[in-house]
Amino acid sequence: MAAGTTIHHHKPGHAQAGVRWRRPGGKGAGLWHFLSFAAPGTLIYFCLVVLPITLSFGYSLTDQALLRPKTHFVGLRNYQLLLQDETFLQSLRVTTILTLIVVIVPNVLGVAIAVLLDRRGWLYNALRSVFFTPMVISSVVISVIWTRILADDGPINQGLRALGVSEPPGWLSDPDIALYSLSSIVCWQMLGFCVVVYLAGLQGVPQELAEAAAIDGAGPARRFWSVTWPLLAPALTINTVVLLISAFKIFDHVKVITNGGPGTGTTASVALVILQEGFVENRTGYASAEAVVMLIVIALLSVITLRVLQRREVQL
Amino acid sequence: MSEKGGTVNKLFAAGAMTLAVALALSACSSNTPSGSQSSAPASGGKQKVSFLVFPSPNLPESYWKAQVDLVTKANPDLEVELVAAPSESERNDYAKQLAASGQLPDVQIGMQDLIALEPSLATWTPEELKDFLCPTCGAVNGKILQLPTNTQTIPNVYYSKKLFQKAGIAEPPKTYADLLADAEKLKAKGITPFVTGGVFVTSQPWTAILATDLYAKTPDWMTKRRGGEVKFATDPAMKAATQKFTDLATKGYLDKRQIGQDYPKTQEAFLGGKGAMYPMGSWFAAAADASSMKDDIGVFAWPGDDGALHMPTFTGGGLSVSATAKNMAAAKKFALAFQLTKENLDASVKADALFPAIKGYTPPSDTGPVFKAVYDLWQKALNEKATVPAFSWEAGDTAMLPGMQGKFWSTAQDLVSGKKTVDQALAFLDTEWEKSG
Repeated sequence: MAAGTTIHHHKPGHAQAGVRWRRPGGKGAGLWHFLSFAAPGTLIYFCLVVLPITLSFGYSLTDQALLRPKTHFVGLRNYQLLLQDETFLQSLRVTTILTLIVVIVPNVLGVAIAVLLDRRGWLYNALRSVFFTPMVISSVVISVIWTRILADDGPINQGLRALGVSEPPGWLSDPDIALYSLSSIVCWQMLGFCVVVYLAGLQGVPQELAEAAAIDGAGPARRFWSVTWPLLAPALTINTVVLLISAFKIFDHVKVITNGGPGTGTTASVALVILQEGFVENRTGYASAEAVVMLIVIALLSVITLRVLQRREVQL
Repeated sequence: MSEKGGTVNKLFAAGAMTLAVALALSACSSNTPSGSQSSAPASGGKQKVSFLVFPSPNLPESYWKAQVDLVTKANPDLEVELVAAPSESERNDYAKQLAASGQLPDVQIGMQDLIALEPSLATWTPEELKDFLCPTCGAVNGKILQLPTNTQTIPNVYYSKKLFQKAGIAEPPKTYADLLADAEKLKAKGITPFVTGGVFVTSQPWTAILATDLYAKTPDWMTKRRGGEVKFATDPAMKAATQKFTDLATKGYLDKRQIGQDYPKTQEAFLGGKGAMYPMGSWFAAAADASSMKDDIGVFAWPGDDGALHMPTFTGGGLSVSATAKNMAAAKKFALAFQLTKENLDASVKADALFPAIKGYTPPSDTGPVFKAVYDLWQKALNEKATVPAFSWEAGDTAMLPGMQGKFWSTAQDLVSGKKTVDQALAFLDTEWEKSG
């Protein structure tokens, strides 16, 4: 026992004034104990998250190019250029449209499908698995499969031609359609996630409330809007924030399916443009500024969405 | 007991802290460059060299392995580790990412963005280049960073004799007006005049028109653009050539529905008879000769208004060596052996229809009919001194700025799809040029 350590015996429920409960080993040992648990995670988090973000911000104030030895401090010039850079602004527009579609469509379809699947039986269990399957498949695999399906000579257009459509849409080659085709693929993949979260939310809706509403004469639609939907607010919050973050930083689907095309930037997301600026055009400082802007936009959108949606969550 | 427990706690805490710091440091530190590691002497006294290659429809991984085996058989002291780029079109981006993270393999083939890669590549000496026909081709700031091994003509126009016949076309066009007339005849018969697709394939007719209408008159146009003497949007010849390219799409000779398909699919489309003409680099001759329709495929040079021959060519595309290769001598030895071995050059002729630019080299006699036709066309252009640079395919100091090649290719898609007008497209290229500078 360390010199000077005092042990106070304590019985639960019999605490007395002036009696203090102390851990063996004293204050110093407690601190060491705490640090030993906190330090590994904290240091790894610092190296893999805090440090890269800080470095990115630092790089964004320079003209750094990874393949060029000399780097100069340029202040906020990269940020000023971003405001006039049509490629970056176009990528922001593309990402915003894609994000809106990906947040709204899987949420709407997800809640509808979840309500239909909220029943017992092997068929419903099987259907839940079917809807969730795309979520567990790699995005690259999904993208390759859909690229084949949506090709001009793919099964969809062959089917349309068989039905007499002489010029079926160029799903991935028409610049006016490609972004919506891409968004649909992402929606299709994310739908399963929304369904599962809404199903979990539906399990938590007390049956008595719906029964009470039914006794009061509420029909199925009224019961859904007045009882079920308000209680699904936490599920809506989770789905919306997850979809928003996933869609805004989307990269892999875009890279595999369209690589930002057809043409210049018609489907290029912000993440794709950052990669191209940084590694193809060798302008790391500028790409870092784009990454910082993307981080700020995602953080702001997430915080605002969380605040707004959490306000309508109800406690039972 | 308690005292012992406190010591154990401290020891445990110290151990955990040490582990955490070690983990964090390993997370923070950069990787050891694999290229550097691989060039260390291997077991048995062999010198290990890593080699970045790009598998493509013409050059599968088995091709690269066989070619490397030929070199290592003749040089048993070398051991070569192949590193495959994700795809042919992404090999440059991949190499730049590897170079930026200190992992560039010792030797690479076919790098295009030599300006960006300049700090990462070793310089070849005149003595090492003595066997090459054009030892100064592709110089960057006067330095040769890549062995100028091959010449390619980009594009030739491959055509289906059967589809030409079906449209009542007796012979290949001699002037641009003939070409347009033939395209109209093909369209009238329900045949797609030009097969196109993907990013760089879509730009091929544009490169062809710029050869006959721009580079034929101003062969140093790109050097002038780099010097700021000309601009895309304000140069009348550039604007007129781009308008011609756009008109091909407006008239329906280029199918905008095809621009979304990838390169292998585009090649497949031409070989499947889905279009009459295919403007493509000389390397396509290999795939054409390997196909069942090789006897049906003819070749002609993209015709200009006056019918004069102007053949867009590029010489370079060979092996380069990393400036940080630990065993530079072994890396250079392998690169030179790979490029100068007769069997290897013959294989590159047959597999990728390359024209080796090596002194005294003649292609094997058993090449296919399409290769022979393309090769003869190039020889004719050489004899008539009718070669010009291939726009967007130039190398070194006469090339576009880093990143601009991809912008040029995707702009071609914008013009074909109608997303951008000629003025918008050219202004866009100028804006992007300024950014890249």
